[in-house]
Amino acid sequence: MLLSDTDRNRRVLTAAAGTVLAVVMGLVLIIGFRLATQIRASVGNLQRASELQTYPELISQQLTALRQRLDTLEYTGHVHSELSASVSGFNSDLASLQRQTDLDSSALAGATVLWRNYTPVLAPVLAYAGEPYSDSATNSTLSRSGRAFYAHVRRAELFAAANSTALHDQLAAISTSLQAQTASAAARLRLLLSAGVLTVLLLGAAAAYLQLARARGERAAREAQEQTRDILATVREGFFLLDADYRIGAVWSQALSQIFGRNDFAGLAFEELLRDKVSSETLATATKFIKLLWGERAHENLMKSINPLGQLEVSVDNGRNGKETRFLQFDFHRVMGPKGVKHVLCSVGDITSSVLLSRELQEAQESAHSQLDMMVSMLHSDPLQISAFLETAAAGLKHINAILKEPARNHGEFSKKLAGLARELHAMKGESSALNLMSIAQRAHQLEDMVGELTGNTDLSGKDFLPLVLKLDELLAHLNGVREMTLRLTALKENSPTAQSSALAPRASGPAELATTLQTLAHKLSAEHHKAFALTLHGLEDCPPQYLSTVKDCLIQMLRNAAVHGIETDEVRRAGAKTEAGQVRAEFRRVESGFELLFEDDGAGLSPESLKEAAVRKSILTAQQAAALDNRSALALIFKPGFSTRTEVTMDAGRGTGMDVVAKAVYGLGGKIGVSTNPGRFTRFKIALPAVSESAVA
Amino acid sequence: MLREEELKTFVDGTTRYFEVAAQQPATIGSPYLLEGEPAIQDYTGLISISGKREGVVYFTAPRAMLTVLLMKMQESDFSHESMRDLVGEVANTISGNARRDFGHDFVISVPSVFSGEKPQIPNPPGARAFVIPIHWRSHSAKLVVSLT
Amino acid sequence: MSSAPDTHAGRMVRLLIVDDSNIVRRRIERSQHFDDLEVVGTAANGIEALELARRTDPDLVTMDLTMPQMDGIECITQLVRMKPEVRILVISALADKATAVEAMERGANGFLSKPFTDRQLNEAIAELMY
Repeated sequence: MLLSDTDRNRRVLTAAAGTVLAVVMGLVLIIGFRLATQIRASVGNLQRASELQTYPELISQQLTALRQRLDTLEYTGHVHSELSASVSGFNSDLASLQRQTDLDSSALAGATVLWRNYTPVLAPVLAYAGEPYSDSATNSTLSRSGRAFYAHVRRAELFAAANSTALHDQLAAISTSLQAQTASAAARLRLLLSAGVLTVLLLGAAAAYLQLARARGERAAREAQEQTRDILATVREGFFLLDADYRIGAVWSQALSQIFGRNDFAGLAFEELLRDKVSSETLATATKFIKLLWGERAHENLMKSINPLGQLEVSVDNGRNGKETRFLQFDFHRVMGPKGVKHVLCSVGDITSSVLLSRELQEAQESAHSQLDMMVSMLHSDPLQISAFLETAAAGLKHINAILKEPARNHGEFSKKLAGLARELHAMKGESSALNLMSIAQRAHQLEDMVGELTGNTDLSGKDFLPLVLKLDELLAHLNGVREMTLRLTALKENSPTAQSSALAPRASGPAELATTLQTLAHKLSAEHHKAFALTLHGLEDCPPQYLSTVKDCLIQMLRNAAVHGIETDEVRRAGAKTEAGQVRAEFRRVESGFELLFEDDGAGLSPESLKEAAVRKSILTAQQAAALDNRSALALIFKPGFSTRTEVTMDAGRGTGMDVVAKAVYGLGGKIGVSTNPGRFTRFKIALPAVSESAVA
Repeated sequence: MLREEELKTFVDGTTRYFEVAAQQPATIGSPYLLEGEPAIQDYTGLISISGKREGVVYFTAPRAMLTVLLMKMQESDFSHESMRDLVGEVANTISGNARRDFGHDFVISVPSVFSGEKPQIPNPPGARAFVIPIHWRSHSAKLVVSLT
Repeated sequence: MSSAPDTHAGRMVRLLIVDDSNIVRRRIERSQHFDDLEVVGTAANGIEALELARRTDPDLVTMDLTMPQMDGIECITQLVRMKPEVRILVISALADKATAVEAMERGANGFLSKPFTDRQLNEAIAELMY
């Protein structure tokens, strides 16, 4: 718009310059012509004036010559006629000078007056036509008329002698004035010509400048046009203008073609563009929405949220003879002109990835919710059962990974894995759903489904297992999350002063209840593992309520360890000359620095060497690393996540020690855990817990 | 977390190398999760990924496999250097594929090559490593992908 | 933003809040931070709103759409007829775009979706009044 304005200005200027040039040239020609004419006339006059100047002297001489001839009685005829010619020449020249209006009139008037005085004196001389001499035989004498003639000539001669100088001077003044006039006319002509040439030069320069500016303007316009074209070809959004009739303008961005798979946008009705892509209701709403932009009331910025085409789901050809879903975002903006809204600018962007991302975020949020649900169900479950399950699940996943790790190159080998995988996953799904841990159950279920789908496949390859292993990773991460959550939940329960009585802990667990729980568990474990042992508990009543839950979880875990790993079978015990029933002892006591929980069994103890072997087998350590380990560090291995000395994996809840869970819980409270052992004699855990503030104890 | 198409890109990059270089496609074995120490063989080509994602991808192969591969590629130089070049090339191909497919998300390092000695492989925290056995003729190499 | 606007220089901007929820009304009342804006009334339905608009002569009305007795659409229609110069900002959780567009067609000047932040509300008010 700006461009066309300056363009118009430039055109007006060019036309004006042309007109001025023509007028100036015309004026120069007219005035110059007049001046030239004037000069030519002046030059003629000057000639005449110069001629006139000679006459007074000439007339005076002619009169003298005439008088002398009369004195000597010579022939006077030719002198008389010469005088006559001079006088008439003077008369005619003077008359022609008098006809020139612009002559210096004072000199001319002076000359005319003087000349008028000549006339009566000359008239009788000129008028004389007789014979001046009367001839006799011997001599000649003046005749009567001759004597009169002589007197006239003599008078004229004297008059002319007296006046010729004055007349001459007057005539010279005329000449001078005429000369000055001619010179000034010539000067004016010169000036005029100079001015004309200068004006033409100026106008020429102006025209050249304008021409240059126009060329530059055109180049700028062309560049701007090219840039616009480049932008429209490159920009990722589809851009076009809509007129008041909802028709698309003549210019649009390339992206629009890609988005809509067509090219015939110019003049296309907006409705037509979307006909097959949106419902008629949405289209109607969209049309009304755009119409609002043509009105004055609606604020563009405050109606974005009700844009019916803000996120449009469309199905497009993906070029591989399939359809895919894309999300388009239409944006509308007013384009203002001098008289209000001129167009509506519409941009169309493909926002598929951001929509999918936000959906993922939403799913993540939902999964966070399901984690919350799980947290709630965990609060209502027996922590013993949950930690038992987590161990089972971790072992199960290890087993699954072991199955996957089995080398396979052909369909048969791949196919063989599926049954084992399905069995593990199915068990995990059953257990987790029984504990109401639905997020785990769901994932196990998805994996089971994937395995199920592969079972029907007749040509299995490694590629088919890629999604499986990814999903397995996800499940593993999730299980770790749950494990973390269990620990945090434990801490939460401890930090809540009302935990004991609140609905969050329906099974109120004071020290007395804890003792009962532990004894019951000991009984159960003894039966399950066919190992006889007795559990003695001391000082649990001293346990501050904040620590009770952690202490309970630790004791349960250590008790299970003692039952599964520590206490030997009857035969072994008998061979080792030990009491038939194993002794397991737990003691809680106040110490200077806070509290201490001791837990010991008189079982097989821990062998640093077999712990190292297990660590290498489980890839927790390399053989070199294991060899370099001292006994103390080897014992500490049992606090490593995922460590288990048991070689075979069973469906029983005895997989994995879970001592890492215990250690984490203790660290969580700011405590320490240590283990000492005497192979064949005992295993002793010592847990140190910091003092609690008095108010908290009370 | 690693996505399936990302894993596929790395795997395809590897198998395609065999197909193009030796006119004999590699197949992939049963993938699994790495537990413990990284499974390193004689020669290893490694690229690290940074930017929006962090991690490593490496191809590790036994000398025997590389020797046969070189033979199939009409090479006559079976030196230590050749072997290193070769695993570097495989890592390069994987890197190229990844750049093509996820150029926006990944900043990929130039491949580094290890042989013999146990390389220090930086494992990104919180990411498990996926092991994908690569079978070619009678040999097996491993592609390991660990990416947050 | 807080400088006196040209359109009503020397005079406070008079705000009428129309929403059937107490919480939302209080929320709107609390969250506007303009020195020269005063709440001249709050109404819980369209009929009350029209009555209050007649009495209090507001410059700006925030309008809910779904209300008992007289809904926002009808209220906007009558309000615009009564006071054509009043600015109306619809504040609604309505997911139905067609109704939202209709509210604008009837003369609302802007639309703010619930839930909204204080900042969004203040920006919308500024857009309409300043």
